[in-house]
Amino acid sequence: MDLVRHLGYFLVVTEELHFGNAAARLGMAQPPLSQRIRRLEEELGVRLFERSSRRVALTEAGRLLVPEAREIVARVERMRDLMSDLARGDAAVVRAGVPADLGAAVLAALIAGFRDRRPDVRLSLTEMGTAAQVGALLEGRLDVGLLRHPVAANGLAYGPVLVRHPGVLLAEDDELTAWATVHLGDLAGRDLVLFPRDAEPGLYDDTLASCRRGGFVPTEIVCTDRLEFALGLVLSGTAVAFGAPAEVPGVVWRPLAGAPLAWRCSPAWRTEPGPYVRDFTTVAVQVLKESAGMVDEGVPPAPRVTPRPATGFLA
Amino acid sequence: MKPGINPGINPVERVFRSAGVTGWLHAVDIDDGREVGLRADEPVVLASVFKVPLLLELQRQAERGLFDLTERVGVPAGDRTGGGTGLAAMLDDATLSLRDLAYLMMAVSDNTAADVLLARVGREAVNALLDGLGLTATRVVQNCREMLTSLWVDAGVADQSAVTQACTDPEVVARLSALDPAVGNRSTPREMTRLLAMIWRDEAAGAASCAAIRRLMALQVWPHRLASGFPFDDVAVSGKTGTLPTLRNEVGVVEYPDGGRYAVAVFTRSFGTAQNQPRADAAIGAAARMAIDQLRTHI
Repeated sequence: MDLVRHLGYFLVVTEELHFGNAAARLGMAQPPLSQRIRRLEEELGVRLFERSSRRVALTEAGRLLVPEAREIVARVERMRDLMSDLARGDAAVVRAGVPADLGAAVLAALIAGFRDRRPDVRLSLTEMGTAAQVGALLEGRLDVGLLRHPVAANGLAYGPVLVRHPGVLLAEDDELTAWATVHLGDLAGRDLVLFPRDAEPGLYDDTLASCRRGGFVPTEIVCTDRLEFALGLVLSGTAVAFGAPAEVPGVVWRPLAGAPLAWRCSPAWRTEPGPYVRDFTTVAVQVLKESAGMVDEGVPPAPRVTPRPATGFLA
Repeated sequence: MKPGINPGINPVERVFRSAGVTGWLHAVDIDDGREVGLRADEPVVLASVFKVPLLLELQRQAERGLFDLTERVGVPAGDRTGGGTGLAAMLDDATLSLRDLAYLMMAVSDNTAADVLLARVGREAVNALLDGLGLTATRVVQNCREMLTSLWVDAGVADQSAVTQACTDPEVVARLSALDPAVGNRSTPREMTRLLAMIWRDEAAGAASCAAIRRLMALQVWPHRLASGFPFDDVAVSGKTGTLPTLRNEVGVVEYPDGGRYAVAVFTRSFGTAQNQPRADAAIGAAARMAIDQLRTHI
């Protein structure tokens, strides 16, 4: 028997838990599907489904088989894709999504680092926000991505979490440039230029929540994922931005006191990593640490509020 | 920036000048010793800041078993030192423990409480303690009642309400001996930050006593001086103010969420003689933040 193909039938039945629906999805009649499942059960020597007139349920053996079968089917599919690429004369490719604000130097280091590690594999990069990367990873349009946390997605696995603490970019004539470190609360009354919520919903909400906790409620929020546009607004004194130091005349960077913002990211892939995902992850983690100022996430400090008698409750 | 103020001068000096005060300041990183100062070794009038060394001696005598800080002390209504807060403003006989008197002395700068405690520990004991800590420019020679009485005498008035009025007159202010550091309770900004650093490092007394002092300094109610420079939820400010006509002082410790802690002592004397000096109050916070910001540039 073709074990892999039979495992494929089995997986469709486990998803539908209905032989008629599963057969329709597979474009076949129900009796041959039932027959193939029985042959698989004979081959493995166990019952995979409890069948009654009303319902189909997985047995314990069936439940144990599901992850194993998924892995085998996915690996065989990948192997076929890889071989067919080679047969067509295409080089092997790993498709990776990266955030828009990674910066030219980091991007170049990422590509160079991957080329050094796997000269035989082409790295295909796409600029994408976290929300788009999650969709593309789950649909198989990307092999690996770099996601910003917090992110809620089932079916993805994550590499190491890296963190960086952005500072604030100010126009050089902003009075706050007198300080060596700026508190979030000092920014009160200013506009903020930030990445779009559509692209980074988790990090956007998280960043604004931290700002409010720190006493900074931006008068207006301008969203852009174009660094040049953001720097233009900062340069004109229209808004402030969070990020790494920018080598732009007229823009001054200051650290935020107490590092109140923590921007986390990690490589992510479908539950079954593709053949070059680990290579990409290794290179990406190294490059982000060396070129993008990111560090392994330690234990994040709990936000603290120090009590003061004059602002105590009912004072 | 205000016109007429040289941008090249020390930024801390600029804060003082903008507020119309002469300022003395010292700030030090409690853990690495980096420091910023402005006239940091000149003698300054402590006013109520003397309550910090008094509290330290109270704790140390209790450590030696000379008394129990829970001992209750009667403070009769007829024998109160003046001042606008605490027992001075209360109308009836009171009985409080020594440590609760210390709380009132530190939280609202209660002058009656301070005089009760100073009478208990003795001025010479406070000065012997200061000698032992190497703080020889710091002296406690007067209690609160003597300080206030000197104002009445020098101003030529008969009571507290009249002295408040008289002390807004520049000619009266010019002859107040209470404003002369050679006469009354005195120190230097640097000695005050050394004292605070020793309290914060548990070196000035036993660890429990130092913790008790830190607790009381964090319970001070005033938001308008040192704390006004640090309006941030994650920054802790502990302090003790001092006030006399034209003098606005505060010494304290500012603690950052990253563990940085800084002792700072700010003493000001305003050119104006108004009783209300909000710009001088705020300048204490602004100058302290400016100094601590300089200490944090390496972070």
